[in-house]
Amino acid sequence: MTSRFVIGIDLGTTNCVVAYAELESPDAPKIELLQIPQLVTAGTVESFSNLPSFLYLASEREQVAAGVLPWSSGSGDQIVGRSARTQAAETPERTVSAAKSWLGHSGVDRHAAILPWEAPQEVPRISPVCATQRYLEHLVCSWNAAHPDAPFTDQKIVITVPASFDASARELTREAAVGAGAPANFVLLEEPQAAVYAWLTDEGELWRDRIQVGDQLLVCDVGGGTTDLTLIRASEVDGALQLDRLAVGKHLLVGGDNMDLALAHHAVEAFSEQNVKLDAWQSVSLWHACRHAKESLLADDGPESQKVSILGRGRKLIGGTVSTDLDREAVTRLLVDGFFPRCNLEDRPQMRHQSGFVQIGLPFESDTAITRHIANFLGNYDQSESTSIQPTHLLFNGGVFRSGALRQRMTDVLSAWYVDRPPAELHGTRDLDHAVARGAAYYGWTKERGGVRIRGGTARSYYMGVETAGLAIPGAPRPLKAICVVPFGMEEGTQVDVPGSEIGLVLGQPVQFRFFSSLVRREDQVGAVLDSVDENQLEETDSLEASLPPSSTGNESYVPVRFQSRVTELGVFELWCVSTQSEDRWKLEFSVRPE
Amino acid sequence: MGRVSVAFQAFFAALGGRLTGDRLQLALADQSSVTDRFPVNAPPNISEGSANGRSEAVTLLSALQREARLVDLIQEPLGDYSDEQVGAAARDVLRDCRSVLERLFALRPVLDEVEESEVEASADLGPARLRVRGSSSSEGESVRGRLVHPGWEAGRCELPQWSGDTNDQLVVAPAEIEI
Repeated sequence: MTSRFVIGIDLGTTNCVVAYAELESPDAPKIELLQIPQLVTAGTVESFSNLPSFLYLASEREQVAAGVLPWSSGSGDQIVGRSARTQAAETPERTVSAAKSWLGHSGVDRHAAILPWEAPQEVPRISPVCATQRYLEHLVCSWNAAHPDAPFTDQKIVITVPASFDASARELTREAAVGAGAPANFVLLEEPQAAVYAWLTDEGELWRDRIQVGDQLLVCDVGGGTTDLTLIRASEVDGALQLDRLAVGKHLLVGGDNMDLALAHHAVEAFSEQNVKLDAWQSVSLWHACRHAKESLLADDGPESQKVSILGRGRKLIGGTVSTDLDREAVTRLLVDGFFPRCNLEDRPQMRHQSGFVQIGLPFESDTAITRHIANFLGNYDQSESTSIQPTHLLFNGGVFRSGALRQRMTDVLSAWYVDRPPAELHGTRDLDHAVARGAAYYGWTKERGGVRIRGGTARSYYMGVETAGLAIPGAPRPLKAICVVPFGMEEGTQVDVPGSEIGLVLGQPVQFRFFSSLVRREDQVGAVLDSVDENQLEETDSLEASLPPSSTGNESYVPVRFQSRVTELGVFELWCVSTQSEDRWKLEFSVRPE
Repeated sequence: MGRVSVAFQAFFAALGGRLTGDRLQLALADQSSVTDRFPVNAPPNISEGSANGRSEAVTLLSALQREARLVDLIQEPLGDYSDEQVGAAARDVLRDCRSVLERLFALRPVLDEVEESEVEASADLGPARLRVRGSSSSEGESVRGRLVHPGWEAGRCELPQWSGDTNDQLVVAPAEIEI
């Protein structure tokens, strides 16, 4: 089946966007946005260019009748989109939000029905993988309803993930996508790279004039709930300009929602000075009002102060309205200085120590200063590399950067770090809400039709944990060594044999390996052995497992193997155990169930 | 062969970071820009909900109430309140009404010229598009004069599709009970 379209999907933490283009379009693709029909309230459907990533688990009396949406599949008790987002505010205990952050959190079983987190007993729950699949199903149905002649499964699909997603979070995303009807050959693309591709489509061939060989581009993507950093370098290959992804930052759970919440807290204080106490419903409405106030006060020509009102709840709208004034200076201090403080390149995020008792949940950042996280990202890189880091250009992504004050502050902070050559902002069309989806569609188009590509390879190096042999000491775990099985930057479509001694696997039994990744050890070669696991450099992720069949040839219970790693053309990461004595090979799969 | 035993157990350290669970649950509407600067495809053929006969006027009224509380504002007796009170409430209602109208109708002026400027418009424009005020005897191909009002025109008309029960077709907003 030949594909007529390339479809780019931004599967966001708070919003999904779908962009597409015809593959056969001449020189440059014309990228359009898919309008996504969704429930806005009971019985009412409207189409929007985004689908809020919220899922409401409807009670029996709220079930959606068949025929309300333009497709019949899907169950009526799981509502996705705008209506669910409204419910997230009013009935949080029945609403799944931030499923994507849970997908990237290896501390929980992502296949287990755990969402809504801390929901009461009577509410049915679903897994982070399943919620992700529901969002994608809604997008697939929207596509198929709009393009009955070009079914989704037959098109070229690109889905974006955070650059900071590790191999297992990517695998879970893949599982959800295939479950939702994506063709097996769909491609995963990192979000900050997609933002760069969006900039490239905006600039057309002019981009080559904007960037010179040796320039470094810092992509700063601040979404609703997460911050994602990527550094890209322009180099020259055979006389042509080429882009290489140098590094990606840690998965940071801090974003625009934190800012709205901070502003809402500030407004609550202003209200309490007037002796106005707000109830839960008013707080929701306050958040809504604060979001508007943030955008207008932080705009380049914003007013000196802005009234924030909460309308009366019942029919007494005017009589019940309470309002307070927020002034520009205080809000700027709170948000710009609070989230983007001026700091030195040597500064690091402040870690707050836990007080003994730790609750399982999403690992939100304790330091919300995004500039310090950027200093950490750039500073850490500098120490470990031969290439010196000097971002010459800045590309902003995420709705937060609609604010000129925040873009200015970021530029100021980086200019103070790199006085010799302050980084310049790359503007593009600043379509911050749709850039990732448009960039994904453009990337898919260039993959088929040719065009500039960002070379990246794996964003992390990966390590297998192996216990060292030696006398066991009662009560003490054996020391653990880590063997590098995938070096940083291993390219798509390549495979590598891991050198080193053989490992014996027991036949007929499942085997499991501890597995680690590192964002900072970029120099390790495949086969490199680390004598100990330094938690500051290596993060443990889901373990890997394989089930070996009983031996067919003889009765030996062990088979000697070596490891082989592959990154497929589609960016799928695979680890194999290859027998050194026969043709047998076994693939290791992520075990995403913590024990 | 060298028998190296294999580490078996996945170890999940309790993860750091303070929990602020409420933060996520309070997630609320982003007010992402309603104006797409990029071409948008025609809306998919949504099942013809109007078969059960709800007037689109009610659907529009319902949207203005749901998103902007327009009906509440208009239905409230104004006599009890000061201008300042009315203004505080109306400001938000108007802002949200505008966003609904912008999204559903993409309003734009009939004539692009600046208000109060001297303009020349084609005489072919019918009376629905152009109203000429004052006495004019010129029967030429164009009308010249001062632009008093540039007019409004909908750039699209895309109302939500309703497909509820026929008995509910006149409901503008549901009653709410908190348990």
